[in-house]
This record gives sequence, structure tokens and C-alpha cells, in this order.
Amino acid sequence: MLDAFFRWLVNSPWSHALNSAEWVFPAVQSLHFIGFAMSIGTIAMVDFRLLGFGKVHAGTAELAHGLAPWTLAGIAVMLITGPLMFSTDAVGYHNNPSFQFKMACLTLALLFHFTLRRRAVHPDAPPLLAKFAALTSLVLWSAVVAGGRMIAFI
Amino acid sequence: MTIPPMLDWVQSTSLSVAIREGGLPYPVIGGLHLLSIALFGGMLLVNDLRFLGWALKSRNVSDIWYLTLPWKRLGLLVLVVTGLLLMWSEPIRLYRSPSFWVKMVLLALVGVHALVFRRSVYEDPEKLDAGITPQARLAAAISLVLWAGIVFAGRMIAFDASFDE
Repeated sequence: MLDAFFRWLVNSPWSHALNSAEWVFPAVQSLHFIGFAMSIGTIAMVDFRLLGFGKVHAGTAELAHGLAPWTLAGIAVMLITGPLMFSTDAVGYHNNPSFQFKMACLTLALLFHFTLRRRAVHPDAPPLLAKFAALTSLVLWSAVVAGGRMIAFI
Repeated sequence: MTIPPMLDWVQSTSLSVAIREGGLPYPVIGGLHLLSIALFGGMLLVNDLRFLGWALKSRNVSDIWYLTLPWKRLGLLVLVVTGLLLMWSEPIRLYRSPSFWVKMVLLALVGVHALVFRRSVYEDPEKLDAGITPQARLAAAISLVLWAGIVFAGRMIAFDASFDE
């Protein structure tokens, strides 16, 4: 079943499009980088505040609220460009240990972001929960990036 | 193509060999480079989007500027240090890579950009709290284009036909 899906994916029009010229794949990859800079950068900005770094100018909750659309936009770019790259070599990625690690961390990071961390950002959240959530969030997203880098090596 | 002798020397240093052939160091340094793209790039995006008047409009421009400044600096520092280490590890390959030179030219343009807009925009971000000037918008737009180009040129290095020694 999975094999058939991967075969279909590798022969899909978008997979062909990514292989059509040498610059297309790195261009999509660059968009992937900009997407994760936007999402993880904005997430980190809030996490650092939750950890108590930086001068407090105004509420962290308000900052998180203002950044949320950009975080989501970054996640959307990531989740569109990622599968596009995956489609060019579905079987290879599927069997790559770094890719598997990255997907596990990504699932955890996304789940965590939209559940516990959302609560931790709330102004009434206990400080200890906020710090724990911020640290966990930073570790999970760093693991996603590191796992991504390792795909080319393992 | 003639290779400057200095690059032969760099490539033969033990640090260069250790990063290039040590197994783990190269991807770890690359991973740190990538993480600092998220840190520096994220802060840069937030700033430029605020300068363009698209993001965080309820907060002062200078507020966002000072909030992101330390992280932008830390991110840039790690980017530069890891970038230099990666350059040290394979100078001859990079010397032959057209994308590497495009990236270096774009980085030089970032320096020019900073000098050009220093007086009118970056020296005194509080000035922009009253209203975003056209120069600030222009500076932000150019910054986004330059850095997107740097990311793309950097990524292209891996695809340049310069692997053959």
C-alpha cells in the first residue's frame, strides 16, 4: 500500500517539476528554510520571553498573539515545501533514519505547540509551566532542524 | 582554474581535515549554521515585517527592534563563526563554486545596505514610532530580498558542479 503511494508520489507532476531543472529543488529548499526561520524564529522569540530573557516591554501573551499568524504562515510554508521535496525521493526519505527522527520530533513539536505551549503562553499560566514549555519547545524545534540537516549525511 | 596556494595550505591544516573528514563535525557545524538561520532569520523577518507595517502593528517599531536585537546578534555571530568553519573545511571547492561567490557578493551588499540606511533608519529606531518612513520600508524590502538571495545562493552551493577536486 505504502509502496504504491510512494510510486505514485515519485511519478506525480510536482515531483517531476522539482526535477525539471537543477535550480528548482534548491529554490524549494530555500523556501523551506525561510518558512522555518519564520515559524521557529517567532516561536523562539516567545520562548525566550517565557524563559525570562530580555527586558520586558509588554505582555508575552500579547506578543505571542501578534506573532501567531506569522508562525502559522511559516508552518504552512514548511508543510507545503517539505512534502514537495519528499515526493522526489519518497522511498529514500522514508527509509532514512534522520528523516524518521525528524518526523517524530516534528509531530511532537506541532502537538506540543498547539496544546501545552498554547496554555503556557496564557498570562495566568504558572511560571514554572511557562518555563518548562518554553524549554521543551526550543529543544523539540532544534531537534527538528538538526534532524533535517542530518538527512543528507545518514 | 588556478587555485591560490594559500587555499591549498588552508585545506591541509588539521582543523580543515578534521571538519572535512571527521564524520560528525561537518554535519554538526552545518546543523548549527541552520539553527542560527532560524534564529537570525526569524528575528530579521519579524523586524522587516514590522518596518513594512505588516506585523505586530500594535507594538512600537523600536520595541520590536530592541526585543529582537540581542537574538539577532547572537544568531549572526553563530552564523558567521560556523560559516567560517565550513569555509575553512573546503576552501578549494568553494573557490570553484559560482554560487559561493554570488553569496559573498550578496553579503557584501548587506554591508552596503547597512551603511546606506544607517543614518536614515537604523541609527534611531525610536524615530519610526511616530510613523514608518518610506526609507524604512525600502530598507526592509531590500533586506528581505538580499537575505532570501543569500539563503538561495547558499543552498545552490551544494548543487554546483564543483565536487570534483
